[in-house]
Amino acid sequence: MMTQNIRTLFLIISIIFYLLIGAAVFDALESDSESSRSRALEQKLNELKRKYGLKEDEYREIERVVLQSEPHHAGRQWKFAGSFYFAITVITTIGYGHAVPRTNAGRAFCMVYAVLGIPLTLVMFQSLGERINMLVRYLLCRAKQGLGFQRTEVSMGNMVLVGFLSCSSTLCIGAAAFAHFENWTFFNACYYCFITLTTIGFGDFVALQKKDILQNQPPYVALSFMYILVGLTVVGAFLNLVVLRFLTVNADVRAASEGEDSIKVLCFLHQMPKTSSNLTPSSFIVFHSIVQSEAVGV
Amino acid sequence: MKRQNARTLALIVSILTYLVVGAAVFESLESKQEKTHKRKLEARKYELMSKFNLTKEGFEELELVVLHLKPHKAGVQWRFAGSFYFAITVITTIGYGHAAPSTDSGKVFCMFYALLGIPLTLVMFQSLGERINTFVRYLLHQAKKCLGMHHTEVSMANMVTVGFFFCVSTLCVGAVAFSHSEGWSFLHAFYYCFITLTTIGFGDYVALQKDNALMNEPRYVAFCFVYILMGLTVIGAFLNLVVLRFLTMNTEDERRDAKQKALLSISKPRGEVARLLPIQTSSSSIPAVADNAAKAKDLKGVYTEVLHFQTICSCLWYRSKEKLQDSSMIPQELRISDAYLPQNSDCPHYVEPGSTGCVCSPRQCTSISSITTGLQFFSPFRVFKRRSSV
Repeated sequence: MMTQNIRTLFLIISIIFYLLIGAAVFDALESDSESSRSRALEQKLNELKRKYGLKEDEYREIERVVLQSEPHHAGRQWKFAGSFYFAITVITTIGYGHAVPRTNAGRAFCMVYAVLGIPLTLVMFQSLGERINMLVRYLLCRAKQGLGFQRTEVSMGNMVLVGFLSCSSTLCIGAAAFAHFENWTFFNACYYCFITLTTIGFGDFVALQKKDILQNQPPYVALSFMYILVGLTVVGAFLNLVVLRFLTVNADVRAASEGEDSIKVLCFLHQMPKTSSNLTPSSFIVFHSIVQSEAVGV
Repeated sequence: MKRQNARTLALIVSILTYLVVGAAVFESLESKQEKTHKRKLEARKYELMSKFNLTKEGFEELELVVLHLKPHKAGVQWRFAGSFYFAITVITTIGYGHAAPSTDSGKVFCMFYALLGIPLTLVMFQSLGERINTFVRYLLHQAKKCLGMHHTEVSMANMVTVGFFFCVSTLCVGAVAFSHSEGWSFLHAFYYCFITLTTIGFGDYVALQKDNALMNEPRYVAFCFVYILMGLTVIGAFLNLVVLRFLTMNTEDERRDAKQKALLSISKPRGEVARLLPIQTSSSSIPAVADNAAKAKDLKGVYTEVLHFQTICSCLWYRSKEKLQDSSMIPQELRISDAYLPQNSDCPHYVEPGSTGCVCSPRQCTSISSITTGLQFFSPFRVFKRRSSV
């Protein structure tokens, strides 16, 4: 029990420190640029207000219309293609916000849809990721055999390297494609792919938002959807390889202590009179080794 | 087909179906409204253009400025409080987008920050969630004892009910608080809390964006941060309870398959025993050993039960007792002999009943030696009592 509590406490403290450090760095990086931009924009606004002779409340009216029109610039967002895009952003928890349900029925359905969809998606990505890791492990083993290595077992280091390489290449391929089709710089496209595949999904860059692309270019639309889902699979496989074991680490510590109990069970059953138990000593060893290795999470 | 592959395929198909169904429903709910809303806005736009005597270019100029000013409207976003808010939205993957780094260095740092922060946060929430679940289990157990119930074990259903209740109350508490502070309706505030705590984070509703709250109301700011982090903990605990086991399903199956394969390979030296161990939980390749088929099934059953010990968290002790007594023990044929013992042949095979109960001397099997210390906590009498009732 103690190790789990200590570990949890340590994690909580690390996260709090991580947030504090992050906040300080973002402040240092963005604050000045924000205030200078803000000032410049305010100036420009005042200029324009003077130019067109607008009072404050008149400007507010215009502002309201402009802000509400913003999502409509990208074309119809709620036809089938757009709704499919939206559904993806919900169940993968990316949540760009480029299109949001405006009806109360839409919002209610969105919540219900998410409650079932998000766990299902999590399980699916981890399941597929595990299968992919198995396949990669097998291919690597074959490759090592083919290349005439002495030791053909695939180590964790090998797997992590391959996983990291696949994630990076997925990112770069996506960045190249989106930079081309969306007219972004390569850096911004990388940033977009990263923010998407980590499911953060700010929404400052969103694909398929050039005028009416969702309706007019189905192959590009389909490719984008596939990229998002495949990319999330690759990232999910990497997480399955590296992170998932840490999510169950507290439970494993408890399971290990419970494993000792099962050994005690077998031990005592062996102690019972021979007539009531066919457990020979040697079969006990077999059982024991199975249970013990389960307990330490081999 | 292997169980894991079938399961994965089924999941892929269900997700794709789920997306298609969702898309269809969202389309039917939102599409018409979108069209009418767009038309209304266009009309209003032309109204305003004629009212204020604006040309198309003039309006577009204004539009550009308005859109660029949008993130600044909510106040200063990148001072410490705002950056902290942003850092939270990054590592929890909520990602409202109400503020996004505009400088290139900000974007680069954001990516590295997320790279380390997101797994750390996942591990932290699951760790804390597991602790909370254990604590709740303990409390429920005590409560059941106090209420004088017969069965004081806490079932999974109990835990799920309590977890669900806590999730819903967290959402409601947040909804009340935010509807009051942000001036939203209760339903909209509930929607905001839901979208935030599921880490979807659209950004259509974002807290701390009114009247420069980030700078002017530190207590409300602190409340928001605490609410988001604690709400995510509650949701994380519920996910840890309900969903986490499914994330490791394939891995567990692989482990079990590998173990059984290892068992099979151990038995290879003894020919006749090997025939009795056609272990595959997937039903594919059980050799047709006719006269031994029934015994093989027994074997498989017992082996599966033993392997099953470790995967069931709570009822371990009771299950193991029942299974080993009820099942037809290990049939005579499983006198797996010397092939299984460690190489050093001076290991005594039998130990007199009533002694430590271990089959090897402790120095032989170092892993078993831990049992001798644990045995004293064990009451043999319960076991024998059950035996006598059979």
